[in-house]
Amino acid sequence: MNIAVCVKQVPDTETNIKLTDDHKQINESEINFIVNPYDELAVEEGIKTKEKIGGEVTIISLGPDRITSAIRGALAMGADKAIHIKVDRNPSDPMVVARALAEVLSAGNFDLILLGKQAIDDDHAQMTQILGELLDLPAVSVVTKLEVTEEKVIAERQIEGGFEKTEAALPAIISAQRGLNEPRYASLKGIMAAKRIPIEEKSISLTEDKIEIIRYEYPPQKPPGKIVGEGADAVHELVRLLREEAKVLS
Amino acid sequence: MVNKKGLPSFSKSLFSGIILDELIFPYPRQSKDEQENLDMILDTLDKFAQDYVDSGAFDRAEKMSDDVIKGWKELGFFGLIIPENFGGYGLSSTSYVKILEQVGYHDGSTALLLGAHQSIGIKALLLYGTEEQKKKYLPKLATGEMIAAYALTEPEAGSDAGGIKARAVWDKAKEVYILNGSKMWITNGGLADFFTVFAKEQIAQPDGGKKDKITAFLATRDMGIKSGKEEKKLGIRSSSTTALFFENLEMPKQNVIGENGKGFKIAMEVLNEGRVGLAAGAVGASKKALKQIIAYITERKQFDQSLAEFELIQKKIAEIKINIFVAESMIYLTTGLIDQGQTDFSLESAMCKIYATDRLWENINECLQMAGGIGYSQEYPYEQNLRDARINTIFEGTNEILRIFVALAGIHEQGEYLKQIGKALKDPVKSFGLITDFAVQYMKERLTTGRIRDVHGSLANNKNLFEEWAKNLHITAERTLIRYGKNIVQKEIIQERLADAMIDLWGMIATISRVDTDIRHKSWDAVQHEVLICNTFCEQAWRRVRRNILTIDKNSDDAHLKIAQQVIENGKY
Repeated sequence: MNIAVCVKQVPDTETNIKLTDDHKQINESEINFIVNPYDELAVEEGIKTKEKIGGEVTIISLGPDRITSAIRGALAMGADKAIHIKVDRNPSDPMVVARALAEVLSAGNFDLILLGKQAIDDDHAQMTQILGELLDLPAVSVVTKLEVTEEKVIAERQIEGGFEKTEAALPAIISAQRGLNEPRYASLKGIMAAKRIPIEEKSISLTEDKIEIIRYEYPPQKPPGKIVGEGADAVHELVRLLREEAKVLS
Repeated sequence: MVNKKGLPSFSKSLFSGIILDELIFPYPRQSKDEQENLDMILDTLDKFAQDYVDSGAFDRAEKMSDDVIKGWKELGFFGLIIPENFGGYGLSSTSYVKILEQVGYHDGSTALLLGAHQSIGIKALLLYGTEEQKKKYLPKLATGEMIAAYALTEPEAGSDAGGIKARAVWDKAKEVYILNGSKMWITNGGLADFFTVFAKEQIAQPDGGKKDKITAFLATRDMGIKSGKEEKKLGIRSSSTTALFFENLEMPKQNVIGENGKGFKIAMEVLNEGRVGLAAGAVGASKKALKQIIAYITERKQFDQSLAEFELIQKKIAEIKINIFVAESMIYLTTGLIDQGQTDFSLESAMCKIYATDRLWENINECLQMAGGIGYSQEYPYEQNLRDARINTIFEGTNEILRIFVALAGIHEQGEYLKQIGKALKDPVKSFGLITDFAVQYMKERLTTGRIRDVHGSLANNKNLFEEWAKNLHITAERTLIRYGKNIVQKEIIQERLADAMIDLWGMIATISRVDTDIRHKSWDAVQHEVLICNTFCEQAWRRVRRNILTIDKNSDDAHLKIAQQVIENGKY
């Protein structure tokens, strides 16, 4: 089975985000970047599927030079190939990214396309649906359970108050939600093997962004938390404060 | 990278008045490729540690779960420095030591498990093993199928490692060595299947006689090695520490590591490199403690202010940051030298160990102090940090013994330099290694000796201070040597001052080089904090160097020794 996994490199959730002076961008110089956690679920699912029914997993990622570390991270988990779509700017419009990804994906003859349900940086959560449209393929998002056979996928997705079971013929697009699996840690063996895999570079001319970021703002400062105490003894005081001070309990 | 194989030691040369700045500048940097690899490994390490390594729970259980050890094995963390052709990952010294630092960040006991296995357990095999020995054992050691331990210390031979009593006797009939004796305080003692054991045997001398000499052996659990019960320890409780017992253990001839009778040198060399890893573990533990205490002092309020707003708290935080930064600078300069082929780094690694572990104890102690009452409570991590940290100034060479080593080896170099006194000094310190002819030649051919290259203007004052006090240390060491001759060996307090002066100079030059190199690679804004740290440390350090040098001649040592003798004679207060 020919499996593609789209991954995005995002700032580490623990990073202290700083903005550029004009507030139009995030200052990237001190940022620690990671693989988008939902995309890690997709990578794991791709590798699991390969281990079960054979085939090959190709990592596809779009971004500047720095994203090679994210691609290597995904390869180190056990993917076989990688395509780096090299761009000189970070598109702020998901449509622009989707068009570029679709171009590479349609050239690759993939049976199964996996991705995370959303990136944790800009949180657009649109890629699954847009790619489905552009590639004219069935697309199931927010999947928590997946069964893959040679011809089709059966996917369970979370909906309000329950689950929805969906079946789609391959090729299909699936986006991963937490709970789908536990991504494996990249072992040293995997990391060393990943080093030897060449990353195929593709340059694609991006279409124009239809969205413009006008300004980023820092979130308002949260008032400091308060530790009432520890263990069972603190419960009474906590309940009292929640009732009398915070007024969230009646 | 520049090949620095065979170059003399920076610190040894410095005692002789020669500053080999080409060893120090520019500060070593990892290649992009290596850095990227290391980042991935550290990422895996952090994720695994966050999910499975619960330092507090390990401490309370006095054991880490088998699953966690299995996890480290499966991920490859037992084969970090084993060459790839033997199933390991062949990491550089810098990468390996950075990994140990990060393991030390998460849990001290785990750092010992992995460190004792690799830094010392398998090191003699790596350095001196035959191809056959390596083929037989390294693949199993790389996967962690076999865990390794280093067995040197005995009940009656701690710092005095030459005094071990374990004995190997060649049995002609059986064609095996018969090993008898016991070892003590062996890290991984209860877990290991592979042991680097040091024992004495009778070695034929050129004059026809026989002499007791130490030989390194490679022994495995299945030969019948018995472990004592797990020691009940102050800290690092989930690491395994036991005695080992050898009763008529039979070892084939192929299990000798290196040459018969050369075991002492092997033992010391293994420790030389091991100490850098230990120092890095101490840095990791310090970083963790700093992170914990910052979270606390920014949250905790007294007098309507967060603790972080008080000067006496800020002073401690600044000191801890400087301590860690300087230790880091020394450690990764040393590993950089090792990676560039430098083979004489015994003083440098000893200084890293002394500095990083002494500072660790201060850092952890101050963090506990800042936490106040809760610092003393077992509900919080501070007391465990304190207990876990305490061993570091004791094992792999107590910091006292290592200071003596630094001073005597440094002076010994001078002894070589001053041939007339050199001979008298040879005996007591000969195990510390003689300077090579190549090194002597190398130093003689240098044109400038007492200066270092120009550094960035913001650090220029530090450079001048370093040059001035390096020169003073050289002159003082020479004067001391002339004054005391071979009796310098007994003058431990003076040795301590010389060593402390050298350690401060080593910290200064390492920090200057690191920051100077960073200035060339990073934006000016990004290095402001580092420049401030470097300047602050150097300002404190040169004053300590001055004090140490001045008190070599003017001090109250005799009075102190007299008081001590009187008290000891009296047997009580």
